[in-house]
Amino acid sequence: MFVYEKKLQYPVKIKNPNPALAKFIITQYGGPDGELGASMRYLSQRFSMPYPELKGLLTDIGTEELGHLEMVGAIVHQLTRSMSQEEIKEAGFDTYFVDHTAGVYPTAASGFPWNAASIAVKGDVITDLTEDMGAEQKARTTYDNILRLSDDPDVNNVIRFLREREVVHFQRFGEGLRLAMDKMDSKNFYAVNPAFD
Amino acid sequence: MNSKQRDYRTGSLPDRFPLATALTPMQDSADPAYESSEALSRGTLFPGLDLPFMNVVNPDLPATPMTEMMAIDFVVHELGLYLDTHAEDDEAFALFQSFLAMQKEARRRIIEICGPMKKTDLIGADRYTWLLDPWPWDYSGRKER
Repeated sequence: MFVYEKKLQYPVKIKNPNPALAKFIITQYGGPDGELGASMRYLSQRFSMPYPELKGLLTDIGTEELGHLEMVGAIVHQLTRSMSQEEIKEAGFDTYFVDHTAGVYPTAASGFPWNAASIAVKGDVITDLTEDMGAEQKARTTYDNILRLSDDPDVNNVIRFLREREVVHFQRFGEGLRLAMDKMDSKNFYAVNPAFD
Repeated sequence: MNSKQRDYRTGSLPDRFPLATALTPMQDSADPAYESSEALSRGTLFPGLDLPFMNVVNPDLPATPMTEMMAIDFVVHELGLYLDTHAEDDEAFALFQSFLAMQKEARRRIIEICGPMKKTDLIGADRYTWLLDPWPWDYSGRKER
C-alpha cells in the first residue's frame, strides 16, 4: 500500500505566476511522456516481473514518479494562481481555462487528455525494460524542451532536478536489464519469456 | 591507481557481450558521491550520472530544516535505487545505514518545527495538526521554514 508524506521530493516555490508556462509544463503531468504515465507504467509492469531486483526497482521508481507527479502539479498550480481574465487571454491559457479553470488536469500540452495508450505493459521482461529505458529518454527530452522554452529560474531549477532523475532511472533500468539477462539463457536471450514461461 | 577513481564515469561491461541486447554498463560503486545537499540540488547522488542539459547546474538550495530533511530523504532514496541493482554492495549498504540514522534524527526535528510529515507522526500529539497549512504544493511567500 501507499502512505502519504506531507512534503515534496524537491521544493517548488514559484514567485511569479505565469500561465503561459503552465500551458506546456502540464504535459509532464498528463502528457504522453509525463509523470502520471511513468508511475502507471512501472507500478503496473512490476506484477509480472519474475526477479526481485526488478520488482524492487519498478516499485521504487514508480513510487518516486508519483512524487514527481505531485511536483509537476505544484508547478502548474503555482504558475496559475491569482490570474486575471486579461492574463488568461494574453497567455493563451483560455483554451485550458474554459475546461478546467485553475484546476490541475492530466492532459498533454496539445490538449489531448491522459491516455493509457501512451504507456506499455507487455508482460515480457526484455520488452518492458527496454520500454522503460525509452520512456526515461522521452521524458528527459521533454524536460530538455521545457528548459528551452522557460526562462523562469524558480521553474527551471525544479525541471532540471526532474530531468536528472530521468538520467538516473535510465541507468538503473539498464542495470536491471543486465541483471535479468544474467539469469537468462546466454546462448539465446529470446528463447523464452521468464515473465510467462 | 584506485579503480573507482579511474572508472566511476565508465562503469564495467563484460569482455565480450552479445548481439541484439541493449547493454548498459554497471555502475561500479556508490563512491564517489556528492554531499547530501549538493545531491538534492543536482538531482543525483552520483557525479558519474550527473549529466546536466547545456551543462547548466542548479544553484544550492537555501539551507533550512526542511531542505536538510529533503536532502537526507533524497540520499536514502537514491542509495535505495542503487541497492536495488547492487544488493551485495556492503559499502553502499553501510552508507545507506548511516543515512537512515541521520534521517531518523532529522525527521524528529522537522516534526517539531513543521508538524507531522506522516499521520503516524501524530503519536503522542495533544491535537490533530495534520490539516494545518501549508500543504506541500502551496506557494508560501513567507520566510523559509
